Amino acid sequence: MSEVEAVPAPGKGGAVARLSGRLKGYGIVWVTIALFILLTITTDPFLTEANLRNILDQQATLLIAASLATVAMIAGGFDISVSAVYVAVPLLALQVENATESVLLAVLVGVLAGLLIGVGNGLVVAVLKVNSFIGTLATSFMIFGAGYLISDRSILRPETDTFRKIARTRWFSLTTATWIALAVVVVTWLVLSRTRFGRHVYATGGNPEAARLAGVRVTGVTIAVFAFTGAAAGLAGVVSASRSVSAMPSDDFSFLFGVISAIVVGGTSIAGGEGGVWRTVFGAFFIAFMINGFNLHQVDPIWQRVIQGAVILAAVGIDAWARRRPTG
Amino acid sequence: MPTIALDDHVLLEGVTKQFGSTRAVDSVDLAVKRGEVHALIGENGAGKSTLGKVIAGVHEPDAGSLHISGEQVRLRSPRQALERRVTMVAQELSLVPALSVIENVFLGIESSRGPMVDNADLRERFRQLVAGSGIVVDANRRVDSLSVADQQKVEILRALARDAELIVMDEPTARLTAEEASTLLKIMRDLSESGRTVIFVSHFLEQVLEIADRITTMRDGRIVRTSEAESETAGSLVEAMIGRSLEANFPPKVAPSASADTVLEVSGISRSGVFHEVSLKVRAGEVVALAGLVGSGRTEVVRAVFGADPIDTGEVSMDGSPVELRTPRSAIASGMGMIPESRSDQGLMLRRPVRENASLPRLGLFTRLGFVNRRSEDHKVESATGEVDLRAASLEMLVESLSGGNQQKALFSRWMIDRPRLLIADEPTRGVDVGAKRAIYELLAGLAADGMAVLLVSSEIEEVLGLAHRILVMRGGRLVGELDGTDATEADVLEVAFGAEIKESAGV
Repeated sequence: MSEVEAVPAPGKGGAVARLSGRLKGYGIVWVTIALFILLTITTDPFLTEANLRNILDQQATLLIAASLATVAMIAGGFDISVSAVYVAVPLLALQVENATESVLLAVLVGVLAGLLIGVGNGLVVAVLKVNSFIGTLATSFMIFGAGYLISDRSILRPETDTFRKIARTRWFSLTTATWIALAVVVVTWLVLSRTRFGRHVYATGGNPEAARLAGVRVTGVTIAVFAFTGAAAGLAGVVSASRSVSAMPSDDFSFLFGVISAIVVGGTSIAGGEGGVWRTVFGAFFIAFMINGFNLHQVDPIWQRVIQGAVILAAVGIDAWARRRPTG
Repeated sequence: MPTIALDDHVLLEGVTKQFGSTRAVDSVDLAVKRGEVHALIGENGAGKSTLGKVIAGVHEPDAGSLHISGEQVRLRSPRQALERRVTMVAQELSLVPALSVIENVFLGIESSRGPMVDNADLRERFRQLVAGSGIVVDANRRVDSLSVADQQKVEILRALARDAELIVMDEPTARLTAEEASTLLKIMRDLSESGRTVIFVSHFLEQVLEIADRITTMRDGRIVRTSEAESETAGSLVEAMIGRSLEANFPPKVAPSASADTVLEVSGISRSGVFHEVSLKVRAGEVVALAGLVGSGRTEVVRAVFGADPIDTGEVSMDGSPVELRTPRSAIASGMGMIPESRSDQGLMLRRPVRENASLPRLGLFTRLGFVNRRSEDHKVESATGEVDLRAASLEMLVESLSGGNQQKALFSRWMIDRPRLLIADEPTRGVDVGAKRAIYELLAGLAADGMAVLLVSSEIEEVLGLAHRILVMRGGRLVGELDGTDATEADVLEVAFGAEIKESAGV
């Protein structure tokens, strides 16, 4: 008899709790699949190659930024500045492209600029100990402002034809935007779930003091997750500029709302310490299918907003409810 | 069944309060007379604070009944207790730091004229309160600028402003200087003289003997006896608090070999206002315990040794070479491991699996090119959790779903993977059941027998006596005595730990 077998088998209560835990844990998967099936049955155009390809392409920029923002969220950091980086960085990238006609350099400068902004956010949060929500809200305004300065308040367009190819080239019938998003998602998922850094991210968000006492460089982890989120938001901005073949300064926070919605609907906790990149992917597609379904069913856009808000509220409400159960 | 006497202010019958598998208060019958100072004493963990909190409505009892002023009541919250004119001054004060004294005292019961606060009337009420109680505090000072002693006075004024007839004071003198304590004791005496009832939860025997009318001694959640203070002495109370043999619960001590190397050497570390000039050594195979009252600086010292908190001066060496005390990370690299004081706040990621919690500090061992090798991680964690006898249906279970004892074992299992040279264990058995306690004792003794140096902090004196080869006693941030673990008695440790208080209050 091995020692493992000597462990008392969990009782009925344990089995029920585990089953409900499992259903709850993967709820977003089931509802996304259910929605997919529902739309397949109720509409003709939903399950067509063109429609699905289109949804993938439209979700690409959001997924790039949201994957890394998920990592920051799990580490306990709420990065508001993804919108500002998403708006301002492509302006810088296009200025570089206009000046040098080098698309590669433009992309590198864009990602690097996002990374540096992220390091700045990380320092504000980890070293100055400013609440991340407030700290990155403040830096958002600075970055938005920088966007106006960089672009001289005008719409920028690429000089080269290559720039638009960043996002719009087709490989195996999918756009490069989709492929870039896929690569970012897969790499982020691997890093988060398989590496030591990923473990330190969960530990930092789950209990920073305990992580520190276990030898985790909590400050370093925090700066790193903000840096990566900044770089990803910068890349997302460049891909978006390539898709639309232009970039324009604004104070528009709406990209952030999409990112946060995908993260929380997916089930990553805004309290930090738990969640996953795959969750955000499902969260993003759940919302995308929902909006697609609204359009295919010709739901009034005003009601679309109301329903979308209710869905997010439900997701966060379930999370809060799940956390309230007593600990033993 | 006790009958309700006319002058019983509070009467408890068969009151039981359970936390997890621990019975903090076990079938307690107690009568507190109106207008008396009634002391509740006992060792740490005897249940005295819990009992006080049951009376003040902080904890709802699991069984038994509570009568206040002759009427049976169920108190589900401190607010309901206050409706019965019962309140508590807790160890953790509950004032609003950024408000003034007067604002705190009348918070929620302000005088008003229409929607506006009537400040003139508040000042008059405050003046009357001060005149009636003899408690003097500056009404306009912000509470966060006051000393702990003055903040306690504000708490008492607040209770009086709400017409409290019974005040439970939970270790009110623990953080006060001797002089401040004697002022507070006088205030408590005055409260009782003015007809109010005071329940004084404390482990300061001399203070209890000085002001209490009656004393109830608790041990392991039960009442040993309630007696007139005049009939007790410090010695008789200590005897009542201890009252049982120790040997049976603890594994035999294996003395470290005479030639064992010094693993940890701490030389004169200080942090201003917290601990002062602390020096100690722990040899391989030796269990050294830091004993002392709550607040004597034990935890602060071991946290500083581990690099978790800064020090002003002094030096720490491991195996003869100095350790740069910057972060726990560098302490771990130098060969230390720590079981922190609070497993939920400082130890565990409650919503992560056992496996991840166990492997965290040693993840580097299973990591190649940044990637964690799950197979070797699983293997090592399995054997580590086996060594500490952690019972979980699966290592993928969330830590929060484990019992307290198994959670504590999960913390121990961390240091079973690639054992450190020194293990610091701060309150390693707090809040675990008897079975798990015994297992942790055997584990600590076994690790020492295998040559690990162990630095133990514990509030349970019997644990200190049962495990340690040497006992270092702290008082007021200083090491004040060293006792041999083989022949010291509980009374010896208490004498050194209480020393100053006995002398000082005798001098007042």
